[in-house]
Amino acid sequence: MTHDHVADRAAEELAATLADVDSDGALQETAALAFPETRGGFLRRSLALLSGLGTAGVLASQSRAAPGLTKNDVAILRFDLVLEYLQAGLYTEAERLGELTPETLAWARVVGAHERAHVQALKGLLGRNVVPSPSFNYRGVTSDEQAFTKTAVAFEDLTAALLKWQAVRLDSRAVVAAAVTLHSVETRHAAWIRHEVGLAPVTSAFDEPASQERMARLIASTRFVTSPARTVASGRPRFTG
Amino acid sequence: MRRFAVGVALVAVLVAASKAIPEPDLTAADADRTNAPAASLRRAATGVPPPASPAFSVGEPRLLEHAETTGRYAPVVNPVAAVESPRPDADPVVSLLPTTDEGTDNVVLVLGETRRKGRSWVHVRLPVLPNGRTAWMPRSALGGYRFVRTRLVVDRARLRATLFEAGRSVFSAPIGVGTAAAPTPAGEFYVRLKLAGFDNPFYGPVAFGTSARSAVLTDWPGGGYIGIHGTNAPELLPGRVSHGCVRMRNEDIVELGRLMPVGTPLTIL
Repeated sequence: MTHDHVADRAAEELAATLADVDSDGALQETAALAFPETRGGFLRRSLALLSGLGTAGVLASQSRAAPGLTKNDVAILRFDLVLEYLQAGLYTEAERLGELTPETLAWARVVGAHERAHVQALKGLLGRNVVPSPSFNYRGVTSDEQAFTKTAVAFEDLTAALLKWQAVRLDSRAVVAAAVTLHSVETRHAAWIRHEVGLAPVTSAFDEPASQERMARLIASTRFVTSPARTVASGRPRFTG
Repeated sequence: MRRFAVGVALVAVLVAASKAIPEPDLTAADADRTNAPAASLRRAATGVPPPASPAFSVGEPRLLEHAETTGRYAPVVNPVAAVESPRPDADPVVSLLPTTDEGTDNVVLVLGETRRKGRSWVHVRLPVLPNGRTAWMPRSALGGYRFVRTRLVVDRARLRATLFEAGRSVFSAPIGVGTAAAPTPAGEFYVRLKLAGFDNPFYGPVAFGTSARSAVLTDWPGGGYIGIHGTNAPELLPGRVSHGCVRMRNEDIVELGRLMPVGTPLTIL
């Protein structure tokens, strides 16, 4: 199978995942930026087909940039917010379940608190452009020691790499100034967790950036993003009365 | 020889740099006159543009308190047989489908989790007879966990329902419960679903479906599930007037509908 075929398949999976949760088209916009070239067209077509939303919806969504933020910066920040939701949810669920070892829960509690603070900061900046949190199914990872630590390391490493990729693409220096305050914390998380689980905290003299496309593929491959449970309906009750 | 020369030069630079730290009684100009490397650094530093104020600052991280959750639930995502114990060859208890008769996702209350031979199993409370039945199902048959902070206590003796959030009472109202012929069952249950927007005054404006089932009205349409709902006969409340359901005044069920999420554990005393 060629690289393009693999990439298209990943894009298709992502499209299906996003179509489940993309209530206002915000993620479509983000994903379109994440897949900027030929695969971007494929993704947009897939999303339009799956969600019933067309290009007009995307353009309408793009026109609602927050005051002082360019559309480009809003799209990047939205992508980061979804990622922070995902990370905050991972640590929060692990802490609530309490199934991991005390040593692991000790760092997970602190890192989780940081990720929740990141969510609040990004939501505050985005204002009415906030992307609502999708629902997540961590598929047993939050109660499995090995799976949890591997997932945490992967997310923290890639988040740090992603912020490097995004920093040179942001328009606003003020957003860059804020983003670097997150970036250093994410790299510390990565090094801390790596140290705790016996991995080398630093593996090279220079870190490579990782694109939004790569992060989007990782998120899609985990299948952590799901539709919310439908618990409310309008049907006629048939209870005993 | 060349390495030796480079080494000597490096030592000389370090010595010069160490001297670049100005004495307290020297001005910056004095230091610059006496130390060329420091002057060069100072000139480079002054050419930097002013900083941008960060667009946001991250607030204080807040640790969770375990008392924040009282229960968790998850939807059934694949048709699955709930079994007696966490083993693939365990005796089946009941088969569960992903959706309820009302069209909602079929959720189960999660009581615990264990791993056996690399497979994750979840201990769940079931919406079946006999009431209070629990069983195990593979984690892969369930969707994502959702957590709640609430618990509803229905007191049949005092004819009152009380909702607790994080251990604190946030709602209390008089209720109607089942007659002696069709009693409201006692035990531990959970809220399975919420119905609103239907047109049936008998049930009021909002109705919750629970995992409790009438032990006597087993042939009732839908399976004899016990609901918590409003009423078109509020004058009968509080009292032992229903077929097993928990009835409330309409204003009370509307308020409960605002406060109580699906997945809330339910204790009927």
